[in-house]
Amino acid sequence: MADAGEGAPAEQKKIVHTYPLVKNSDMPEEMKQEAIDMVVTACEKFASNNEAAAKMIKDQMDKKFGPPFHVVVGEGYGFEISYECLNLLYMFFGGNVAVIIWKC
Amino acid sequence: MPPKPATKKKKVASPNRVEVDDDLEEWKKSKQLLKPKDQIELQDFELKELVGRTLVMTNNQIPNNIVEFSYVEKSFIPVPQVTNYIVAYECRGTIIHRDTEEAKAIIAGTDGEDGGMLNVYKSLIFTPIGSEEFEDKDKEKDEEAPAEQEDVGESEGVEAPVEEKADEEKKEEEEEIKPVSAKKLTNQFNFCERAALTYTQPPRMQETQTTPPPVKTFSGNVLQWIIYDSYQIDYAEQLEEKERERERKEKDKAPVSKYLGPPRKSKKKLPVKKGFSEEQEMRIFECWKVLERMINLNTYDEIAKDYRYWEDPSDEFREEEGTLLPLWKYSYDKTKKHTVTHICWNPWYYDLFIVCFGYLEFLKPLTEGFICLFTIKNPSYPETICLTESAVMCSDIHPKYPYMMVCGMFDGNIQVYNIQASAKQPAYMTKSHETKHSGIIWAIKWVPDLPDGELNFYSVSNDGKVNNYVLMQTELSLTTIINLYLDRDAAAGPDGTLVKLKACATYIVLHPSNPIVYMVGTEEGLIYKCSINYNAQYLMTYQAHTMPVYKIHYNKYNSSVFISCSGDWRIKIWEDNRADPLFVFDLGASVMDVEWAPYSSTVFGAVTAEGKVYVYDLNVNKYKPICTQAVVSKKRNKLTTIAFNYNMPIVIVGDDKGMVTCVKLSPNLRVPCKPPKKQQHLDQWTLQCMKLDRLLALVREPSVLAVHTDISVSDKSTI
Repeated sequence: MADAGEGAPAEQKKIVHTYPLVKNSDMPEEMKQEAIDMVVTACEKFASNNEAAAKMIKDQMDKKFGPPFHVVVGEGYGFEISYECLNLLYMFFGGNVAVIIWKC
Repeated sequence: MPPKPATKKKKVASPNRVEVDDDLEEWKKSKQLLKPKDQIELQDFELKELVGRTLVMTNNQIPNNIVEFSYVEKSFIPVPQVTNYIVAYECRGTIIHRDTEEAKAIIAGTDGEDGGMLNVYKSLIFTPIGSEEFEDKDKEKDEEAPAEQEDVGESEGVEAPVEEKADEEKKEEEEEIKPVSAKKLTNQFNFCERAALTYTQPPRMQETQTTPPPVKTFSGNVLQWIIYDSYQIDYAEQLEEKERERERKEKDKAPVSKYLGPPRKSKKKLPVKKGFSEEQEMRIFECWKVLERMINLNTYDEIAKDYRYWEDPSDEFREEEGTLLPLWKYSYDKTKKHTVTHICWNPWYYDLFIVCFGYLEFLKPLTEGFICLFTIKNPSYPETICLTESAVMCSDIHPKYPYMMVCGMFDGNIQVYNIQASAKQPAYMTKSHETKHSGIIWAIKWVPDLPDGELNFYSVSNDGKVNNYVLMQTELSLTTIINLYLDRDAAAGPDGTLVKLKACATYIVLHPSNPIVYMVGTEEGLIYKCSINYNAQYLMTYQAHTMPVYKIHYNKYNSSVFISCSGDWRIKIWEDNRADPLFVFDLGASVMDVEWAPYSSTVFGAVTAEGKVYVYDLNVNKYKPICTQAVVSKKRNKLTTIAFNYNMPIVIVGDDKGMVTCVKLSPNLRVPCKPPKKQQHLDQWTLQCMKLDRLLALVREPSVLAVHTDISVSDKSTI
């Protein structure tokens, strides 16, 4: 018979989200926060140079949490990695950049 | 190099000297002595006098009082006496005296040794100290030592030739011993380093391996659309979370028990065992609810189809007239004797409405009241039932929070229900006589929330007060907005005291666009236009009716136009600030309720005590209703309320037998405005406003004409 509510809410405007969005992470909370901050700083600093951003993140991560970290920053790629447990962060930033950080 | 002073100190032996003198005598006698001229002639005795020579240990030639001037002390200071012996050379020996015990021990020890051993020693003399051969530790020969000793002996011999003999003796002694002590005599200070090597442990290998840190694999693809989608999903979740947060806050605002409605159906149809937990019961209740809906859909299938699709075909052939198609009838067993005092649609769900059950026949009082929530989907039984202690006379649903329901009671109490949380007990209610009304509450209305988000509502009652209640954390706080004093002289009471008379308010309506203006209808037939800013003065008083005003309703499209109905059989349409009505309609019976249709600016419906529903469209006919239909039997039933649905072309009317009838408006009753050819772009709202304005302009012009309309209409309807 009759249908539910009065009317669907108005169609939302298309918004481009740029906030850091963590897609997958098993890092401890503190470490994760720090890593996210690093990513945000690096990606903002080297907005057009993914390589430099990745290098900066890697260097900082190595310094903070011990060396063998790997970082990928890019807009399109595929990956299959082995990582040491509790050392993975996969996140999006700026709406078009995906960053993956892992240690192995 | 021990010197031998004993021999030195010995006095020179005199016999030797006597012999020499004798020789001198003889030599002198034989020869003439040559003498220096100044030689002192000595007497014999003088010459024979013995002059003793003494050797002393001190050197008398050395001055013993040398002084030196010191510029520091500004005085002479004695210089230390110069000693008479000087160390010219010093060398520590490594040999030991042969008379010492140690030497003897060595001599004794090496006595039996043969020369071969000695050679070994000799060969080792020049090996550097600290060499690896630690077994050769005790001996080191100093070759120079004996030679030096001999040198010393020789020098002694020169120094004291007198003692040569004795020295020679010593030498002989030494010679005697020498063959024996050919081996060297070392002293204890002659040592060499001794070293020891401890046993070295042989190294051994041992290996262990820790467990490798746990490793996982992770794979994925990064594409722009994946990133975009993730953001979309996450954003939607965030919004949802915000919504939930808001809802939770609202729930906190109305502190009520979490018990959600009684599982009444399940109890009725299924003998629920007491062992069931509440959760199970709820689940069973859900199942029964679905089943009930299915049965209802089956039973009322035809009506449901009519409700959706049936349009009266005869409308096409009738000009300016329409019909009402009865659909469902709602009733509840326990409220058959009650009067439907108020009905209103839920502002959120257009198929849900609230029915208040009270009574109007005050000679046959009822002890309890009900508030029932019915839905179009289930005509057989109310969705929710609230049982109240007193008859419910009016209610209102908050436009923003469709679960907040306030209702006014016959006994002047007010209850606020949070239907979502519990329909069993009110979230708020007036408790003391100070907060409640002292008469029947006839109308109650939510008003826009206070700036800090507190819900509040107005209520009017027989006691002539307009009260504003604010929902605080736990209680209702009351503010009396106005006391509706009549514009008459104070009347004398039985004991002579003067009492200022109050109007009995019967209805309150808030101005839809101006939140501080509201209108109150009274039992005296007056309509007061008031402002919440004044509590002793009316903005305007309309001499509207001669019997109690039952309803006032603002036009949806033009808030300066409102309609009122009264027990004096009349419906009047007013314009703001105009003492005279624009339209007057006489229906020949008490008009219990009137309401503007939401879909048109000129259509309104009314119900009378005779059981008829009237629908007017002023645009079609300014004098006669376009539909008059008896919905319930004229003799037994009185209609009391009417409510247009805001979404569907249906109307619900309530009667005094606890029955609510739903009727569908035929197409003629809801003709939409056709835009004029030149103004095709205008939307329905503007058109409706224009339509009403046109109509008003027609009526407004000369005041004489308006009066004329009034008379003519009333004449017509009374005939």
